[in-house]
Amino acid sequence: MSVLHPEVHSLARPRAPGPVAASMAFLGLVVASAAASLIFGYRTLSLSDIGSALFDHDPFLPAHVVFTEIRLPRVLAACLAGLALGWAGALMQIMTRNPLADPGILGVNAGAALGVVLAIVLFGVSDPARYVWSALVGCVFVSAIVFLLGGRQNTNPTRLLIAGAAMMAVCLASIRAILLLNRQTLDTYRFWVLGGLDGAAVETIQALLPFLLAGAALAVVASRWLNALALGSDVARGLGVRIRLVQVTTALAIVLLCGATVSMVGPIGFVGLVSAHVARPFARADATWHLLLSGLAGMTLILVADLLGRLPLLGGGLQAGVLSAILGGPLLIWMIWRGRLGRT
Amino acid sequence: MIARTTFASFEIAPRVVLTRALLTGFVLALALTTLRFGTYPIATADLLIFLIRGGDGIAHTLVVEHRLPRLMTALGVGVAFGLAGALFQTMLRNPLASPDWIGFTPGASFGALLAIYATGGNVIPGAVLGTLATAAVVLALAMDQGLNVRKLIVIGIGANLSIAAAADLLLAQVDLMTAADMTKWLVGSLNGRDWADVAVIWVGLAALLPGILAVGFPLKGLMLSDDVARGQGIAVSAMRLLTAGLGVGLVALGVAVAGPLPFVAFLAGPIAKGLEGGTRPALYSAAMVGALVVLAADYVARLVPLVLLPAGVFTALIGAPCLLVLLVIAARRGQI
Repeated sequence: MSVLHPEVHSLARPRAPGPVAASMAFLGLVVASAAASLIFGYRTLSLSDIGSALFDHDPFLPAHVVFTEIRLPRVLAACLAGLALGWAGALMQIMTRNPLADPGILGVNAGAALGVVLAIVLFGVSDPARYVWSALVGCVFVSAIVFLLGGRQNTNPTRLLIAGAAMMAVCLASIRAILLLNRQTLDTYRFWVLGGLDGAAVETIQALLPFLLAGAALAVVASRWLNALALGSDVARGLGVRIRLVQVTTALAIVLLCGATVSMVGPIGFVGLVSAHVARPFARADATWHLLLSGLAGMTLILVADLLGRLPLLGGGLQAGVLSAILGGPLLIWMIWRGRLGRT
Repeated sequence: MIARTTFASFEIAPRVVLTRALLTGFVLALALTTLRFGTYPIATADLLIFLIRGGDGIAHTLVVEHRLPRLMTALGVGVAFGLAGALFQTMLRNPLASPDWIGFTPGASFGALLAIYATGGNVIPGAVLGTLATAAVVLALAMDQGLNVRKLIVIGIGANLSIAAAADLLLAQVDLMTAADMTKWLVGSLNGRDWADVAVIWVGLAALLPGILAVGFPLKGLMLSDDVARGQGIAVSAMRLLTAGLGVGLVALGVAVAGPLPFVAFLAGPIAKGLEGGTRPALYSAAMVGALVVLAADYVARLVPLVLLPAGVFTALIGAPCLLVLLVIAARRGQI
């Protein structure tokens, strides 16, 4: 038995490398893209610059300041966001058995964004460490409703997506209505929503790290149970798994990961979808491997998206979130158009 | 139970007739109220005199130049969105499959945004082109031996996400004033609509009316299943495509003059069907419910003075809770 959508499973390449080899390869990609991200930018740093900035730091050397104040936080934020989104996407897909589940598509990111906007307007909060709480509330609000509809085993996959799209519409309509009332918030929001890493700061990362760690821990715990759940709810019950508990743990992990990520870098869609999709053939239907690989794929995706967005070729000012949406939307459409995923 | 009497080949259910009559009555009453209401209230008798005999003076100008075009636009937009929602929901056999979030309405408002960005105005052609472009892409991709309903929905959702991201990107490229103006077009408003808007929406509705009447009857066959419809001699694929085309046209018209007005299209269908209680597509009632929701939202928008909140804020306020309730009910019943 497998966790996967039967149709997708049959598509797993016959001789896909095993999870260990794949995770090594993915890790290599992460390291390479992180290194490229550290080196390239408005000012190219040499490897010796980076080495001396790490081990022989001089706060008056511009190259060192660029490295520790700008590049390093940026790469860290990208890695954390990619990991969190990759995990959230994989958890959602495994739990709902829907290969199109993604924090952006199911509206969970929009719920977090609504939370952030409300916090800014109502409480005048502009610090991610403080608005993360309302982002979490927004996530809970959306995912409770979406999972109420989609947590069941035999949910029609299209209907889950429609429920997510409808919830996203609710959040977007509320956000836009609020923004019309408050022009100052509109000015903050319109840049924040693009999901850029320009504002990544060490303090923000530090403040949000506990949430991400808690989410990750819950995800690891849940992944063991999800394997049992994949055998069907009766078998899982026979194995001593408490289904409701698994679902709640998984949902909580998703909420923590998404809420903290949105607070850190803004709502970035499609990363979860793509990374869980890329990781699936290598995971051999094991939820823990699927998570791990999906996290690595997510890190690579955001690092590369951020790097591409900074390239002068594309105007130099495209945020990672924009790029992933511009590339991800057509990708999703292509996946359905190919007929692999749109059916029951 | 619905008692039915059969006259010739038509079935007329008293409940349906009553619903339609009541809804029409409510729309007319609300329309009259909005005409009278304002910072300068006008008596009903005066209204009648203006409308029949004409006149001059400030009250006449107010009614004829401001309130009446706004009212007519609201009515037209409500009818357009109500019909569009009911058409899509019936054709796709899913009460949640509203053009609001399967790409068409967002495509239209993105077209409007792009027009503002590129030319500073020309919202109407922008919205129409935006809808047509989105619809062409989504419908073309969702075709395999006829329109694949499930593909249409999921591809529409994908298009919706991309368009939302593109709109966000556009909002960040302009100055704050323009961004606020664009946000208004992402919500929908009826402020300051004039006779030109009335002409656009009503001429458009009149042009689409024959098509809507033509699909109205066979659509009932399509509600059950494709096989039943085929058995009744309905050309299912052609019907679907025609219905989708009409729905897209209605969305384009509505967004072009008022902006997206969230949830009107979504709400009208289920409410109308619930009221009529039948198994037929409640197109007329859906149009009336759409008009009622838009009129009510615009009335409330005018009740709140000074800030000039657009009507779309209030359709969202009405629609979002209804949507949540509907989702939960559907989940309880296991329909979803």
